[in-house]
Amino acid sequence: MKNSEWKAVLRFIGTLLMAEGGLMALCCIPAVHFADGTLPQVGLCSAVTLAVGSLLRYRYRRFRDIRDKRMSYLLVVLLWIVLSFFATLPFLVTGATHSFSFAWFEAMSGFSTCGATIFPDVAALPSSILLWRSMMQWFGGFGIVLLVLALTPKLGINKYALYTAEASGADNAGGATVRTVVTVRRTLTVYLSLTLFFILLLLATGMEAWDAVNLTFTNISSGGFSINSDSIATLTALQQYILAGAMFFSGVNFTLLYLLFTLRWRRIGYKLDELRSYLLLCLAAIAFVVVALHTRSGLPWGDALRLGTVQTVSAMTTTGSVVADYTLWPVPVTFLLMMLALCGGMAGSTSGGLKTMRVLILFRNARAILHNRLHPNIVNPVRLNGRPVSGHITNNVMVIFLVFGGSLMLGVMGLMLCGVSPTEAIGASVGCLTGYGPGLGASGGFGCYAHFSSPALWFGTFLMLMGRLECMTLIILLLPRFWRK
Amino acid sequence: MRKLNYRLVARLAGLLTLTMAGGMVLPVAVSFYYGDGAQYALIFAALLMTAVGLFLRNLVGRHATYDLRERESFWITSVVWITVPLCGALPYLMTGTLGSFTDAAFESVSGFTTTGSSVIVHPEAIPQSVLMWRSMTQWIGGLGLILLVVALLRRLSGGSLKLYAAEFSGTQQKKLHPHIAKSVMRMWFIYSLITVVLITLLALAGNGWLDSVCLALSTVSTGGFMTAQYGLAGYSELTLNILTVFMFLSGVNVALLYNLFTLKWRRFKLNHEFVLYAVIFLLAALSCYVAFSIANGDFTIKNLEFSLFHIASTVSTCGFYTEGPVVWPFWASVVTFVLILSGACAGSTGGGIKLRRLMVLFLYMRNYMTRMVHPHVVFTIKIDHKVVPGDYVNKIFGFLFLYICFIIGGAFLLTMSGSSIADAFCLASANISNLGPSPLINSLGANLEYASLPLLSKWTLMGLMLAGRLEIFALLAIVSPAYWRRK
Repeated sequence: MKNSEWKAVLRFIGTLLMAEGGLMALCCIPAVHFADGTLPQVGLCSAVTLAVGSLLRYRYRRFRDIRDKRMSYLLVVLLWIVLSFFATLPFLVTGATHSFSFAWFEAMSGFSTCGATIFPDVAALPSSILLWRSMMQWFGGFGIVLLVLALTPKLGINKYALYTAEASGADNAGGATVRTVVTVRRTLTVYLSLTLFFILLLLATGMEAWDAVNLTFTNISSGGFSINSDSIATLTALQQYILAGAMFFSGVNFTLLYLLFTLRWRRIGYKLDELRSYLLLCLAAIAFVVVALHTRSGLPWGDALRLGTVQTVSAMTTTGSVVADYTLWPVPVTFLLMMLALCGGMAGSTSGGLKTMRVLILFRNARAILHNRLHPNIVNPVRLNGRPVSGHITNNVMVIFLVFGGSLMLGVMGLMLCGVSPTEAIGASVGCLTGYGPGLGASGGFGCYAHFSSPALWFGTFLMLMGRLECMTLIILLLPRFWRK
Repeated sequence: MRKLNYRLVARLAGLLTLTMAGGMVLPVAVSFYYGDGAQYALIFAALLMTAVGLFLRNLVGRHATYDLRERESFWITSVVWITVPLCGALPYLMTGTLGSFTDAAFESVSGFTTTGSSVIVHPEAIPQSVLMWRSMTQWIGGLGLILLVVALLRRLSGGSLKLYAAEFSGTQQKKLHPHIAKSVMRMWFIYSLITVVLITLLALAGNGWLDSVCLALSTVSTGGFMTAQYGLAGYSELTLNILTVFMFLSGVNVALLYNLFTLKWRRFKLNHEFVLYAVIFLLAALSCYVAFSIANGDFTIKNLEFSLFHIASTVSTCGFYTEGPVVWPFWASVVTFVLILSGACAGSTGGGIKLRRLMVLFLYMRNYMTRMVHPHVVFTIKIDHKVVPGDYVNKIFGFLFLYICFIIGGAFLLTMSGSSIADAFCLASANISNLGPSPLINSLGANLEYASLPLLSKWTLMGLMLAGRLEIFALLAIVSPAYWRRK
């Protein structure tokens, strides 16, 4: 951890702050168009962020190399924190909220694509702020780090270490040996085309451009912020199904999508097992929810199908768009939604949670152990797409599973210590840790987190960061060994 | 594939059922002594058990060969753990203590798995003989039914180790004696000895004989059936303190207690798991004491006694409760919940994930994180100065994953029958860890009254208790397709 490396980190942060300032500047457009009077404030925030960013970048322009593996972990965590800090500015300066805790929660929820909000009435916010919330999710959904790597491939830092810090390991379990930079480029291409495609699709249904852009931004990134107070409940059935499609794609591995779209069918083999279980799990869950909604809540089949499908996909991909107040649905259905959020979408997608790939490995490993107990001399490795997975990777997955489970338990207890009721604490920690967003009780459904105390909110942001960085990156910083020379 | 040796399975199940029938002598004697009117029903139940036992042992199991492999060992474990609790339900049904079959089965399963969740709302009101039987089921289940089989059947010599491994999966026990049957006999000896000592102490503390026996049987087996509706509130402080000590002891590895008894201090001292167990117990009890005292505004010795009692009851997964301080601070609930899951020492009568497993996991995680910073470091994990093989770590991971899956699955079924999500999680974890009732559940707003749960919930909880007691694998093995596939 040399001094020069610290400076390189600062330069890196500066670059991203400039990008963030640029995005903020884009929020001036609706401020002018809708004339909501926030132009000077948002412009000021943008200018400050740009100024700080360019200052850092200029001051440390000669420091480029980060060789220490530890520095890349540190960089990732610092990035999220610093960017979220500057993202609070528009909320505070325009007076959307006056509490820093609130603004911080909202900013972190945006960049981590969580989607938990502290605004009870979103529709009353100025349009620039609304766009800023959507932008944060769109930007964060892709992962700031991935974005940076795609734009500056010749940066000279230990790219692989940086990449694994954010998407630790599981993605490589399938044996895909694509170079990181190529992966990142493809991911970006898919992301941009999907965004464009769904904006156009929504426009075709007669939605206004403003709504279409915002909703696509938040759903394709598996974020879940909305520009309406009732999330996506008041849209037409067709629009809701389209958004469900967007959410579904946000939970699929982007490299896989790239190969699919470019018609390279033969090369998708290495992801087939995960894709299959993602699809099957989705379908099975939808079937259960739809039947339960019809038989227990007495909804007609059409409504049950629509609400069930959209909400289940929203939970499975940890998006968190709400189509109906699911806290009023039968308890097993709510329970299932929370568990789906814990499972999450495919590895290498924008969704949060544990990821289907890991859950698949966990189950196959348990099965292999059972086999071994019945036939003690059998050699029976865990297989994925017909290839054996090394014990090293299996154990990695187990460790992440344990840390994830531990963080969840810690989250529930921490929130309860902050005075949140048990059921709501379970919901809120699932919501924050997985990036689903809304939880159970008053913070679930169309509700918001405004009634949480400040410590509880800070705890929530910690969980969001933990979930987005796949736990290990953050935990490693807390070890004394990390800081030792 | 070789055919399943079902005759041997039936023979062993029959043998255990006959043993149960023999054990019915005690409740019948109690019934005649107190004249509680249940004697004829009990005799009838005993005769029925004898009939079932003879049928299984002498008709189905005639000409059984003692050829036992992995397949049979899992099969025997599961069959025995289902037959025996079902037969154990007969006394409740025959005496009319519990009306429905589900309730009787629940009480019996809860007893044999040493969980202690009870559907009997007024234990004072039922015949003394049935109370006696209820406590006896726990004592028999305490060391494990398979240990009983191994102790009863010396002829199994080669197969007993496989049986033993099927019931206690992967805790890597060190045997007390090279001969498995002998080491099992030693475990039964120390177990009985502790029971007798506790009965004597309780009687000396001024409790009635029946009370002393019932409480002692529930304590040493970490079962937790109580003899009164409101827990142990009616007992003297001395009694509760004696129970605290023995609850703590019953969470310790039985083999270790044998070493202590035979004055093999060196082996006792070197056991890291015991040290951890003791430290966790003391820390938890002290922190709860402080929390109780602050919340209630009085630093009395009574609070200290209570927190020791409560933590001993939780950490050994016994599940006794008594009247505590008025205000139940949140911290105590958190500590309780964590202790429920972590459980007691491996090889004890207690349940839960077991500290030994957690120790291995903790050491592995520590190494893993160091490796994240220094990728080329090579580590070994050592417990009690012995290297733990990497294969074993993976098994523990698998166990833990399945354990959590069972809790989630169980909680899901519980919500299907009307529990709230928080309640469902508490009920599922308390029962899979064989704890049973706990003040924690009460403070979270769930009802302690298992009697009022719907049918589906009761069967779910029974499944969880069995899964927890058999450490999951034995139960899963016989339902896995791999088990039935012909190769």
